[in-house]
Amino acid sequence: MSVLGKLDWSAIPIDQPIPLAAGGGAIALMLAALGWVTVKGHWPYLWREWITSVDHKRIGVMYVVLALAMLVRGFIDAIMMRTHQALTVGGGSGYLPPEHFNQIFSAHGTIMIFFGAMPFMVGLMNFVVPLQLGVRDVAFPRLNSTAFWLTASGALLVNLSLVLGEFARTGWLPYAPLSERSYSPGVGVDYYLWAVQIGGVGTLMAGINIVTTIVKTRAPGMGYLRMPMFCWTALCASMLIVAAFPILTATLTMLTLDRYLGFHFFTNAAGGSPMMFVNLIWAWGHPEVYILILPAFGVFSEVIATFSGKPLFGYRSMVAATLFITVVSFMVWLHHFFTMGAGANVNAAFGIATSIIAVGTGVKIYNWLFTMYGGRLRFPTPMLWSLGFLFTFIIGGMTGVLLAVPAADFILHNSLFLVAHFHNVIVSGTVFGAIAGYTFWFPKAFGFTLDERWGKRAFWLSLAGFVIVFGALYIAGLEGMTRRLQHVAVAQWGPLLYVSVAGVAVMIAGVAAQITQLVVSIRRRDALRDDTGDPWEGRSLEWATPSPPPAFNFATLPEVGGEEPYWRIKERAIASQQERSASDYEPITMPRRSATGFVTAFFATVIGFAMVWQIWWLAALGLVCAYGAFVAFAWRDENEDTFSAEEVARIERARRGAAA
Amino acid sequence: MSAAEAQEDPYVLGRGRGGADAAGEGRGGDDARPSGRGEGGPAPKRTVVGYGFWIYLLSDIILFAGFFAAYAVLSGDLAGGPGPQELFEQRRLALETAALLISSFTCGLAGIAAGRGAMLRTQGWLLVTGLLGAVFLGLEVQEFATLVAEGAGPQRSAFLSAFFALVGLHGLHIAAGLLWAGTMMAQLAVKGFRPAIERRLMCFALFWHALDIVWVGIFTVVYLLGLAG
Amino acid sequence: MSGPSGTEQGDAADAPPGEERLDAREFGGGLKSYLTGLLLAALLTGLSFLVLDVPFVWGPAVPMALIVLAVAQMGVHLVFFLHVTTGPDDTNNVLALAFGVLVCALVLFGSIWIMDHLARGTMVEAAPAEEVGAPR
Ligand code: HEM
Ligand SMILES: [Cu+2]
Repeated sequence: MSVLGKLDWSAIPIDQPIPLAAGGGAIALMLAALGWVTVKGHWPYLWREWITSVDHKRIGVMYVVLALAMLVRGFIDAIMMRTHQALTVGGGSGYLPPEHFNQIFSAHGTIMIFFGAMPFMVGLMNFVVPLQLGVRDVAFPRLNSTAFWLTASGALLVNLSLVLGEFARTGWLPYAPLSERSYSPGVGVDYYLWAVQIGGVGTLMAGINIVTTIVKTRAPGMGYLRMPMFCWTALCASMLIVAAFPILTATLTMLTLDRYLGFHFFTNAAGGSPMMFVNLIWAWGHPEVYILILPAFGVFSEVIATFSGKPLFGYRSMVAATLFITVVSFMVWLHHFFTMGAGANVNAAFGIATSIIAVGTGVKIYNWLFTMYGGRLRFPTPMLWSLGFLFTFIIGGMTGVLLAVPAADFILHNSLFLVAHFHNVIVSGTVFGAIAGYTFWFPKAFGFTLDERWGKRAFWLSLAGFVIVFGALYIAGLEGMTRRLQHVAVAQWGPLLYVSVAGVAVMIAGVAAQITQLVVSIRRRDALRDDTGDPWEGRSLEWATPSPPPAFNFATLPEVGGEEPYWRIKERAIASQQERSASDYEPITMPRRSATGFVTAFFATVIGFAMVWQIWWLAALGLVCAYGAFVAFAWRDENEDTFSAEEVARIERARRGAAA
Repeated sequence: MSAAEAQEDPYVLGRGRGGADAAGEGRGGDDARPSGRGEGGPAPKRTVVGYGFWIYLLSDIILFAGFFAAYAVLSGDLAGGPGPQELFEQRRLALETAALLISSFTCGLAGIAAGRGAMLRTQGWLLVTGLLGAVFLGLEVQEFATLVAEGAGPQRSAFLSAFFALVGLHGLHIAAGLLWAGTMMAQLAVKGFRPAIERRLMCFALFWHALDIVWVGIFTVVYLLGLAG
Repeated sequence: MSGPSGTEQGDAADAPPGEERLDAREFGGGLKSYLTGLLLAALLTGLSFLVLDVPFVWGPAVPMALIVLAVAQMGVHLVFFLHVTTGPDDTNNVLALAFGVLVCALVLFGSIWIMDHLARGTMVEAAPAEEVGAPR
């Protein structure tokens, strides 16, 4: 084998115009961006303030930026799939050859779940949780930076497959034995494996970090039952990450061993069990869907309480329901393979457990409704997204319960009905939640609100588009259309597919409006400026600091009493208008910026790339360098920066001056 | 916060009140902190680091659980190849187990020495721990080499794939632990006892003890149950 | 480990895992705890090997006996080496541990149960009718 392993000129898809054009376009775009940064001389700023930043707020923002980019990337895949399928009705051949179509649906799911939805949620947790807990940073700031950059590294590898080689054709979960070397000899599955493993390690780190932050570093008096709901859901989602991602790591490692070293975990030969892959991957996969949805539930809780002008109804039952979902989500995974043949007894047990988990979700829905009941309602964009969620998610939940009945699932499994179900819960749950959180906390992060007019347009267009697309797919599924068809031979499904393409067009308009909103808001930022730090009359501690918050978040750690800490602080501030004098402040020590995360991720990318192309020496070199870097970083003495008390006082006074 | 104010607060729920009130009075006297729930403000760094590492260890144990599950399911699939009773050797197993158990003990001794600030003894016990770990690893490598030479490598059957992966994963952890211990000893020698290094020592001890617990699972489930048939 | 360093005074009510608390002295501080642990663990390990070699346990019960001994030994390690106790200062550590153990158990026994039924249900030769859900 050559020095470069399997890598040679044939890796560049000259003969496939679409990926080549897409990849070329993406590369051109990236080069343009990099060139612009270079010409403008922004590198030192970017390096100092963002790339090496260990500030949880900056890292949270970077997560969200990555997620937004990946959501758009995955959306383009979706547009291609929907239009291609519609074009093949009635004998057409569409424009995506089978092997390419298969890569697209695989890349779509992989990117959306691992590099779109997950980073969005982790980013929101990162940004919001320390602020809501009234503390200065997460428990492990440098680990936090590493976690982000590893996620970015995984995203990079997936997108690299566009121009160098190919991506997996095996779906977002590479079922064996199709994903074994004998049936998928190319580098596609390897790209999947290394990208998801590297990103997964990053996610695990983020999970550990958030759990530790919430359990061990809360402001004085912030008892568990005083935490805002979002912190609870972040805690539970992070516990799920910590408990579920190792299962994914284990499963993918086994598949990697099969592919690279000829092991027989999931092969057809030598006693391997392909069904074991399906079993293990879903033992991670079902908790994963709750990792995606729980933080969104938290966002909705905050938004609905805020814009109802009331505390969250049934706070304790909400906490209980969240904990219940966390535990039970590990007891239902078989509902993804009822049809594999475990028999009536096993299916019944898991079917019942699955239906029971919906009870927890039901409790939450009622709590949100009762929170709004009798409240003084306002309807800015975050609230609209939340209401859109409430209406549509109920349908997604109910179709889930339908699928949880094994007898029904035998008919609906792998049909477009299933596809509509999970998009119904993921799009109108996770993605709506992500956008609600983004519009809700954007002013906290940047000091100005987002343009309401474009926000409302984006919401209505997205909602309408979503309902049209997946309403049509539900029906197509009931009419028997299965998922992942490269060619549609049944003319009867044609009209439904055309309707869903129309819906896609509406959604494109929605996404465009969403982007426009950002551009317009940045342009009009002076008019949209919020000096109070609290544009929504918020109900938790993040609204008690200025926007954007200083590096140390709080000049003095807030002391918490009552379930909604902010009200007390606000009232107390009004009662005693006095300012603290400089002597009331103490110096604050914050961790210094560090390149650890970026360097680690760099070597991870190198190792991943080398393993995909089987360039063994490069992988070994990367490993050795990574160890060297690790020792070098561990050798440094603790690096921290201190803000003097005067400096803290000055920053705090400036903020009060602006707010007055 | 006065008692009257606390009563006006309509949303105080259940436990936690005492903590908040006490903390509100005079910041952070130790006795004012309610037990174990972190209501007295952020915990000290040592506690935070220890807890974070604990959470990591749990995820690591779940990683092993995945491989245990694969082994449990696939251990009967010999594909006509050799089974546990033909392959496993009780003497080597006993030696491995003893080495690891004693190394867990000496690791504890290193911790005690570190707590007293005794540099030489800390280094000494760490060295013994590492050497015992190396003995364990050597025995394991020897076993793997023998098996492969006998034609019972991981490619032979699903049973052997699962066996090599599970036991090898544990071995890999031991190897990482050795690298870690070595690096830390060098660091300790150069820099002396510092809070950051002491925290790493604490984490290493947790790691090493946890690996011994995993080994209890392996020698029982894989070896002894395999030999018992 | 036996106690935080001078610069980082620990919160008596909130301890990192693996830390010996003052009230853990009843197990014998420091060395004594590790010695007890070593002794008990060695005893249990020895018993495990004995169960295999000397037929003093009824044959079919050997696997169960081995598993019980292993679980007991894991407990010994947790208490005497990792110093996990039920004290109030350990609540968080124990809760996390309990969650982890629960997930391990679910994945392990769930997989075994599912795969056992799958193997029987998909066996080509003789699938029992009630397992594949054929009409009776
Ligand atoms: C309300 C409770 C829910 C129930 C009862 C439920 C039930 C189910 C069932 C039975 C299936 C398997 C159908 C089949 O493969 O034939 C399924 C698939 C799926 N569900 Fe749900 N679900 C619920 C909520 C959610 C949520 C909240 C999410 C994500 C945020 C989600 C995401 C998914 C995904 C991604 C799949 C299938 C993925 C695939 O096969 O590729 N579900 N659901
Ligand atoms: Cu599920």
